[in-house]
Amino acid sequence: MIEIDARGLRCPQPIIELGKQISTINSGDQITLYSDDPATEPDLNAWSRMTGNKFSKIEDEKFLITKN
Amino acid sequence: MVRVTGNFQSESPLHPKAFEVLHAAFENGWADPGKLSQSGSKANQVKNQALESISEFLKVPVETIFAFPSFSLGYYLGLQGLLQENSTLVHGATDRKEVFAIASRVPRQVLPSALDGALISPSQDSPNSVLALSVANAETGVIQECAEIVRTVSTNRIFLDATSSGIREQGIDSYSTAIFDSRSWYGPAELGLLVIKNKSQWSNPLPHLNAAHPNFGASLPLLLASAVALENFSSEVTEANKQARTFNSQLRESFAQIPDVDIAGSLDSSLPHLLSASFMNCNGEELLRGIQSDGFSVDSGSACTADNLEPSHVLAAMGVLTHGNIRITIHPDTTQAEIDGLIASVNKNVERLRS
Repeated sequence: MIEIDARGLRCPQPIIELGKQISTINSGDQITLYSDDPATEPDLNAWSRMTGNKFSKIEDEKFLITKN
Repeated sequence: MVRVTGNFQSESPLHPKAFEVLHAAFENGWADPGKLSQSGSKANQVKNQALESISEFLKVPVETIFAFPSFSLGYYLGLQGLLQENSTLVHGATDRKEVFAIASRVPRQVLPSALDGALISPSQDSPNSVLALSVANAETGVIQECAEIVRTVSTNRIFLDATSSGIREQGIDSYSTAIFDSRSWYGPAELGLLVIKNKSQWSNPLPHLNAAHPNFGASLPLLLASAVALENFSSEVTEANKQARTFNSQLRESFAQIPDVDIAGSLDSSLPHLLSASFMNCNGEELLRGIQSDGFSVDSGSACTADNLEPSHVLAAMGVLTHGNIRITIHPDTTQAEIDGLIASVNKNVERLRS
């Protein structure tokens, strides 16, 4: 599984990094995203609605993204 | 050096008629209207005329209107003045930060927002609650179904925030207190109006000696300028709304052609002069700077443009993309050439930042 450590990166860099990596995986595959930026969670909400990919918050600063 | 040719930020110059009257306003309105003197009497006359004019255009009795000098003070007066001991404050997730600040000190119930910006009415509320309602959102322009929300609550203590809607959109009549921002009709900044419709529900939250005649220390010359701006904008607002709607529609249609754009709310349920759009994978600050270098100034709700690095709580509450955001305010003097130029600039800069 791909892991992206975007801690320390600010909006919109975590989403941009996620966008780059999601294009390299297949449907159903997952990515773990680490981010401490306060904009990441609300952004993932909108990003997931717009792209059809799913996400869940595993713990603080850790998100699991599943490609549609 | 960049010459800014198109102002799409929320601030704007004074209404020309208000600007014209400012000199005379300072000449006639410098004295304390409360003092017994010739100048005081003249100032009092000016104040009464200004309030009567404002009362006519806001369609509220003159004795219910009070001017205040600062934005946060207006929220405090209008909202805190309705709260009683053990009151619960019911307010929207997309309300202004000033409402959140007051709510942080009392029991509260936050009404969530749907994706289109409409607040979801409470299933139940305490009879001792106070409802804070915003007629329209200052960032997205989304207009709330105020009457519908009021029908679902048991309280009749209602604070209405009309600061961004002004006279562009009628809210509800059944409120206890309401506040207006003079800038919404192109009057001066730092001048707001508090309407206390139901005095039995309101008590002055500030330390005071005279409960019968609250005075919040607003500038009399600015009050006069605000009254003149309101009088003039009242006769222009229908045309201004019509023109803004046409421009807004052009902007929305054009932005919708750009891939991965998230536009907050629909034009049909929004103030026609406001628009908020977010472009995925674009840095809001860089987008703002790029547009600025093309000669257009816009606002942004993105975290990277905020002092505290927090994204817009309004966009977050709606579930709209919070990065790559621009907020556009269409003013009465906005031209077709400026709209065309802004559309071209946004397209160019979004493409550049994504490449």
